Amino acid sequence: MQKSLTPRFLTIGVILAWAVYALLPTWEYQQMTEEEKEELRTLGELEKTESRIIRQGLDLKGGMYIVLEADIPLLVSNLASMKDDRLNKIIDDSKEKSIKQNQDFISVFDTEVRNDGIKLSRYYHEYGASLDQIITSLNEEADDAINRVLEILQNRVDQFGVSEPTIQKQGKHRIVVELAGIQDSDRARALLQSTALLEFYLVKNVSVTNEVIAQLDNALKGDQSLASSLKDDTKDINEVDKEEEITTVSELFGEEQVTPNESTKNEDFDDDIFLENPFSGLLTAIPGDMGVEEKNLYALKKLLDREEVKSTLENSNGQFLLSQQSEPITANDPKNYYKLYYLEKRPELTGGIVEEARADLGSLGGGSAGQPVVSLSMNSEGSRTWSRVTGANVGERIAIVLDQKVHMAPSIREKIPGGRTQIEGFADLNEAKDLAIILRAGALPAPVNIIEERIVGPSLGADSISQGTQAVLIGLISVLIFMLAYYKLAGTVADFALIWNILLVLAVLASLQATLTLPGIAGLILTVGMSIDANVIIFERIREELRKGKTPKAAIDSGYDRALTTIIDANVTTLIASLVLYQFGTGPIKGFATVLFWGILISMFTAVFITRTIFNAYISSRALTKLSI
Amino acid sequence: MRIVKDTNIDFMSRTFIASCISALLILVGAVSLITNGGPKLSIDFKGGTLVAVNFTEPVDINKIRSSLSSVLIDGQNFDFSKEEIKHFGDESNVAIRIASMENEPPRFANRVSESLASIYPDLLPSEKSDFILSIDKVGPKVGAELSSDAVLAILYALGFILIYISIRFEFKYAIGAIAALTHDVLITLGVFSILGYEISLAVIAAFLTIVGYSLNDTIVIFDRVRENVKSSKGSSMESVINQSINDSLSRTIVTSLTTFLVVLILFLVGGEVIHTFSFAMIVGVVIGTYSSIFVASPIVIRMDKKQN
Repeated sequence: MQKSLTPRFLTIGVILAWAVYALLPTWEYQQMTEEEKEELRTLGELEKTESRIIRQGLDLKGGMYIVLEADIPLLVSNLASMKDDRLNKIIDDSKEKSIKQNQDFISVFDTEVRNDGIKLSRYYHEYGASLDQIITSLNEEADDAINRVLEILQNRVDQFGVSEPTIQKQGKHRIVVELAGIQDSDRARALLQSTALLEFYLVKNVSVTNEVIAQLDNALKGDQSLASSLKDDTKDINEVDKEEEITTVSELFGEEQVTPNESTKNEDFDDDIFLENPFSGLLTAIPGDMGVEEKNLYALKKLLDREEVKSTLENSNGQFLLSQQSEPITANDPKNYYKLYYLEKRPELTGGIVEEARADLGSLGGGSAGQPVVSLSMNSEGSRTWSRVTGANVGERIAIVLDQKVHMAPSIREKIPGGRTQIEGFADLNEAKDLAIILRAGALPAPVNIIEERIVGPSLGADSISQGTQAVLIGLISVLIFMLAYYKLAGTVADFALIWNILLVLAVLASLQATLTLPGIAGLILTVGMSIDANVIIFERIREELRKGKTPKAAIDSGYDRALTTIIDANVTTLIASLVLYQFGTGPIKGFATVLFWGILISMFTAVFITRTIFNAYISSRALTKLSI
Repeated sequence: MRIVKDTNIDFMSRTFIASCISALLILVGAVSLITNGGPKLSIDFKGGTLVAVNFTEPVDINKIRSSLSSVLIDGQNFDFSKEEIKHFGDESNVAIRIASMENEPPRFANRVSESLASIYPDLLPSEKSDFILSIDKVGPKVGAELSSDAVLAILYALGFILIYISIRFEFKYAIGAIAALTHDVLITLGVFSILGYEISLAVIAAFLTIVGYSLNDTIVIFDRVRENVKSSKGSSMESVINQSINDSLSRTIVTSLTTFLVVLILFLVGGEVIHTFSFAMIVGVVIGTYSSIFVASPIVIRMDKKQN
């Protein structure tokens, strides 16, 4: 090796300088106290620093990872006009098949429609005449919907105020949201998942409601299958209700006094209550409303899902909706109740009429003084409808419904002009604030389901960091000591290379803005183990050549030359494995693959290039007869 | 310092014993896998809910189990006493794993953690957010997708590696290498099944790393074989391979030791979360070193004999 070493040293120097430069922000960031960070944040300079540091994964700093999937079958169903059973069945079948076969819903739907021979243009005449046209437009609608969902969620999360949120599309119909340091996962989930469909329904009056409940009791009465089907779920309901008197429909509203059925007071009524008053038996009287005890909620939902109940409600043009949350009714009854409302089937006012939404504490003098409220103002079209509806129904109650849950159902005292209204019924101010955010950001064009959710608590994250760092340090130090003891001076060179190897991997991670996860730390440790291998291969070769009687210089030359192909072949296979991992992995696994990939690549550079340059420099500076290896 | 002086061990004459050992290990693992009804998959692949919480003092699993036999969530009565409930890390941490079910109420996982908290109300951390260590909820659909992705990942990795080795060496070497790493993954899978460890996403990553490591080791030996085949024409494949293993033995041992050291430290101090990951790596390093010598090499000899 007679060539000048200067260019090699220059290359190494430049790369090392770059590594230091790339790692500097991370180092500075680590040294900063919370106050200093806050100061920089107000100056708007923190983000610049944050964009240049190694980011910690959610498993290290705690936080929430959610995968949302747009409900495409529901979107397709919603887009259809004049749905009938035939179309519903095809949609249901396609949904089931697409899940089972892991295929795109719309393409399964396409095949199903072709097999059935149904004319799609009957339901989707706005979307084209031929089947192909309709399918293409449905696909476009779905793509468009998910993009709008993405935009709206971004909007919501931005206003929610978390640092460094990530919201990304994954595949065709999915969105991945990562929120660091979230304490209240319920709140974040509600914020993301709410479709923000705001509707205003008239509440049906008491006598109509009583009548429909009586009809439902009648329709369900004597259904033997009912008692048994509910039995499992209502074990404890029976136990609880035994102690209480059974409430009849009329009692619920206190209109006419009917003597309670004597038999219900007996100890042995058991299932009979469901046979006599299957529906109203689940309800409790609440001043001015009907209540459902928390325990009975599931049984009630099951009843509402039954065909005979559905058709009864269909005929009377109404629907039952529950209040948004359960609460105790009186101070001396600790049980929580949901309110149940019987509403008109069609909303009076719906959708994107909200122009501005603001959360506040209710002003003094009003009924909601000191309570969290959301004040709405509507656009002109909304205002017109709102004033017409309120004007025509003075004295009636109107339910404000968000995502199929009743927030409140106040009585209309007078006509409300100007499109202003207030929503009450929040647990705390945060909930009101979140609703205001959701309403401002707009309704989602398609409902989204949470299909994967991972939360790491802050304490586990902190443990992981300290244990991970400890493992890296101990692993590194033991390897360094071993190399020093085993290869002496050459070991020092290898150690030097190893330290640079780690710094370079971190520098690459910082400049890629990659995220360091716990598996990533494991990858880093593995890199330590494997990058040493390259040096071991080389050194063992050099020792071999020395044993054959070569001079140190010749031994080094041929040792490196021979080891090179071995190192490349051995490392390329691991590189392949890491690339495949990166391609197929999600979240933490991707972090592992990234570190492994760069670790191997850089270890080849440090082991072959850096150590060799040092050896060459060492040898050329003196006439060596013995090599410390 | 030299751990291994010049050696001349006849590794290939011990192939028969080695293959008996390998066959036995794989068989034991397979029996365990069959009796357990396949590998124990984590919720990553099966779907479900995993809640890990942290009390301030050690708690009694049996009390928790019996308290969870009737939990009311949104009017629906759940019996969690049959689900997997165990300590996580130390005795004050508890993890519960619940299989995914239809009609899961909203906020399900949080309600589970709330009912856990109510069992020992006096042993809760002062900071409410410190109680929940982690919550993982994977829908059944995602689980199925992750499984097929994991299988695909392993198949693709094997395929690409097969192609690479066939190009760089010869096809028979590729077969030897693939056989060795299949052997390694099968045995590790068996060990996991016997110990009742779960296969999670992280363990799949560990498996792929084992694949990488085992190959790394195999290829270093094959590289020597390739070199020695050229320099010693006329010798039998068997003696060339023996020679090559001996030549690279000191490297094999030094590298295996350092890597083993590192994953052992990871296993001991790396923390609960990567415990199974590092365990898989420990098994993998040992088996991977063994298989390069006793699985990959004999297969190359056998295929070489067939060719001639």
